Amino acid sequence: MSLTSKHKRYFSRDYLLAISILTFLLIAGLLAPLRAQASHQVQSTVTPPAQPTPTFDPQRLEKPVIASDHSEQLKKGALIYWGVCMACHGDRGQGLSEEWRAAYGQDSDCWQSGCHGPDYPPESFLIPKDPVIPAVAGAGALARFRNAQEVHDFILADMPWWDPGQLTDEKAWQVTSYILSLRKVMPKAFELTDTNASAIRTQSAVPQPGDDHPAVLALTGILALAAIGMIAQDLQKNKLRLVERPNFFHHLHPPTIPALQARLRYTLGAGGLAVFLCLILLVTGILEMYYYIPTPEHAAVSVEVITSLVPFGALTRNLHFWSAQALMIVAGIHLLRVILTGAYARHRRLNYLIGLGMLLLVGLLDFTGYVLRWDEGIRWALVVGTNLLKTVPWIGDMLYRLTVGGPEPSLSSVERFYTWHIFVLTLLMIVLGAWHIFRVRRDGGVAVPPPAERKDNARLSRFDLVRREVLVMLLAGVVLLFVSAFFPAPIERPMTETMIDIENTRAPWFFLWVQQLLRFGDPFLWGVVLPIALLAGLAALPYLLPQASDHELGQWFPRGNRVAQILMIIITLILLILTIIFIIPTTQL
Amino acid sequence: MKNLSRRNFLRLSTNSLLALASALGIGGLIRYLSYQFDPAPSSEFDIGPASDYPLNSRTVIPHIPAIIVHDKKGLHALSLKCTHLGCTVEQRNFGFECPCHSSRYDMDGAVLKGPAAANLRQLRVTESEDGNLHVFTT
Ligand code: FES
Repeated sequence: MSLTSKHKRYFSRDYLLAISILTFLLIAGLLAPLRAQASHQVQSTVTPPAQPTPTFDPQRLEKPVIASDHSEQLKKGALIYWGVCMACHGDRGQGLSEEWRAAYGQDSDCWQSGCHGPDYPPESFLIPKDPVIPAVAGAGALARFRNAQEVHDFILADMPWWDPGQLTDEKAWQVTSYILSLRKVMPKAFELTDTNASAIRTQSAVPQPGDDHPAVLALTGILALAAIGMIAQDLQKNKLRLVERPNFFHHLHPPTIPALQARLRYTLGAGGLAVFLCLILLVTGILEMYYYIPTPEHAAVSVEVITSLVPFGALTRNLHFWSAQALMIVAGIHLLRVILTGAYARHRRLNYLIGLGMLLLVGLLDFTGYVLRWDEGIRWALVVGTNLLKTVPWIGDMLYRLTVGGPEPSLSSVERFYTWHIFVLTLLMIVLGAWHIFRVRRDGGVAVPPPAERKDNARLSRFDLVRREVLVMLLAGVVLLFVSAFFPAPIERPMTETMIDIENTRAPWFFLWVQQLLRFGDPFLWGVVLPIALLAGLAALPYLLPQASDHELGQWFPRGNRVAQILMIIITLILLILTIIFIIPTTQL
Repeated sequence: MKNLSRRNFLRLSTNSLLALASALGIGGLIRYLSYQFDPAPSSEFDIGPASDYPLNSRTVIPHIPAIIVHDKKGLHALSLKCTHLGCTVEQRNFGFECPCHSSRYDMDGAVLKGPAAANLRQLRVTESEDGNLHVFTT
């Protein structure tokens, strides 16, 4: 089939039209929950209080009926409230008001009655008169608590009045949920947990969170279809070869490259994938910045807000988290590939060093990003990580102050980790990344033998190259979206002044080997010198050990740099073993 | 020194001036970043009257963190901050264990097993005029 230039234009116009329709549908799909959300105002769970009735209506003592669209948690809480709290705090959360005491008829002077008077019977108890039992709903109620977490903690520790500590953690959440619905600040169908309750304020309602799942899955599906479409096009016998003009993205690539350089089983696509992950990290990271507040008081709360309230906030955060984990793995694989194929030889040495620098940056970025959660889960990683700096002789204290910004983790530290993470390290990463990619081109692309010694001299045009890149990005995007839709990024309750109980003492997974090393003894030696020596050793590989020769390039396990390969495999195994030893629980005693 | 041409001399002096300037700049940067606005953490803790700590009691005060031990030898305070890298140790039947890299200490805070090299610190306890006990972490 031959296309005249006129046809070509028609063709691309159809193409454009299809893309615009798809994009429109996509945006409409993403916005749909927003509209739904706008129509969902926070609704009260109980009937609004009627005008004060002169005579008490005994109906008010009946079991409460809760609308079915509320969470199970809230429904259970309503029953507990009815059975335990209502007697004192009132059926509408009004507290022990005059009007509520009228419910008790002749016993309405509680402080003189048979039940709670000076000579109360053995099964009963005295109740406070000053202050009178407070309201939990209505203007000004619960003013001493900022959020649901604090209400829960109080109820758990101090309620009910005659038997504090009687409620289980779960029941305390149920009661909290109901009380906050009396105050009309509880979003419908929202299950309180200690990783989202700080985002629910006691003094003002939050917009009803929508359900993002359908939109996220739709997006995943559409991208998957697009990827399948691309593959189908490639499989077609009579490929429509358009005489395209190279666009901006094509121009980022050389006009053609040796086909040998683009074999997936040689490169594993690790470098390209890393670039893609970095882009996702950049975008999602910027999105997180709109809500993240870098102070000790607000950091964890703002993470809870992003995760549990902001539309597509959980998706954004999960994408950021999983891309970061994936980047660590992909970068590791890339390093392994480069060493096991001997690609770092000769003039590529410099780029190898730049790459190692980037690996270090990824580690630092991951650690600082992890710490920014500022929740209970990061406490010990933060303490250990920063105290390690102190163990460096001579300059230890200075390093600690430079990093942490104070004598102990505090306000300045969050601010500092924030700056390290989103600016300094990111900027360095961008600079090194650009340099790395520039050097790949300057060094003649991915390492392959010189033209005379190639088995296959076919070349791949930049159009095909970009197509492949787009396809890989689509596929990686689908996987990332899918994982992010179903596996939430970790989060724990906000860090408190005094630790509650020590549950999570684990470093992030990629530093578990360091944590295991630290068990062996002197922290400076095992925790600082050894990891640095490891990095320095890797950096020295191309300078100290024999390298692969030119004609061996472009394949796995060339003969020339066997020693380096074996060394690399041993190092990898040791790191894996250290990590595994750490994970296996110590059974002794 | 004879064969140091004028051009080389100029280059050498320019370069050393630039090096000096960068050294000064880095020094300034370090000082800039080392400033500490946050107050030093408190090192004195009021833990209430001595009567709260009867003979043969061991009471954990989580926010110091420390344990107040009252035994035949008297009343003393033991820091619960691991001497290895600063995690808070947990109580065990043999004494204490650190959750971070599993150092162990006996009941009196002496190291049973590394990586920690030093014993848990004894903290100074004094009784103030109003009868409350004060624990000092420095
Ligand atoms: S901090 Fe206690 S053993 Fe490392």
